[in-house]
Amino acid sequence: MLPDDDDDKRLMTLVAEGDDDALRLLVHRHHARLVGYLRGEVGSQATAEELAMEVFIRLHRAAARWRPEAKLSTYLIHIAHNLVLNEWRRRGRKPTTALEFAAEPGDTSQQSARRVAELDEAFQRAIAQLPPEQRTAILLVVQQELPYEDIAEIMGVPVSSVKTWIHRARSRLRELLKDFYGNQ
Amino acid sequence: MDNPHNKTFDQELAASLSRGRSVAVPGFADRVVAAVRAARRRRVVLRWSSVATAAAACFVAILTLASPTEASLNRQTLALVARDESAQFADLLGAADDLSLLSPAVDKPSVVEVLNASGS
Repeated sequence: MLPDDDDDKRLMTLVAEGDDDALRLLVHRHHARLVGYLRGEVGSQATAEELAMEVFIRLHRAAARWRPEAKLSTYLIHIAHNLVLNEWRRRGRKPTTALEFAAEPGDTSQQSARRVAELDEAFQRAIAQLPPEQRTAILLVVQQELPYEDIAEIMGVPVSSVKTWIHRARSRLRELLKDFYGNQ
Repeated sequence: MDNPHNKTFDQELAASLSRGRSVAVPGFADRVVAAVRAARRRRVVLRWSSVATAAAACFVAILTLASPTEASLNRQTLALVARDESAQFADLLGAADDLSLLSPAVDKPSVVEVLNASGS
């Protein structure tokens, strides 16, 4: 079996030839992470799904021109990030509301699950208050676990800017969540 | 014990964000494929409608060009003049040049009159 990256390339070649089953496989493989990232950015599941749909439509349109210079997952996040920027421009404001977040309780105790849900909501609300660049950077590094270089490429900035935004985002989040963490 | 209170800020941030890392949506791939197919159909319709528009424009152009223009009417008139029998007759007799020198430009006499006059 091919590793995902190589298989992505093979599937993209098929997509370029009009193979809808190959597209279905690609979407199935990548949509969950994409929707997760977009939900973190725009704060709404419905909007995240709409944008993710647009990402894949654009991917399909660009399939014939696509060159496998970067990982497909990074390329998808790149398209998604551009759509997020357009979405903010269209709305004329940045999202400030917390996510419609439903925690998945990992702990057995009811109290602990409630605590996790409460903390998740606080984090989401705090992240929604970050400046857009800081939010994107922290989501990509912490949530999507992308390397700094990839984030810099996606955001079209030097690596040093990414590092600065992430540092500032952490400081700002700590400040916004001081009720939970005090001044550690 | 896995108590969130005891975790550091960074660990909890990572844990919280990673819970939202992946949001699987049932039937999403089918929705995407349906949207792509719809977009493809739209492109086909657009392509054919532009072909039909171009064909209609060509048809109209052919109809317009087929109707007689001023230039074509002039050509037809000159053709009729060229078929004038008296002019042909004058050419046959080789008198056309002389006659044209002798005749006034405005009221050109017929070849028969000229011949009669020279014979008398």
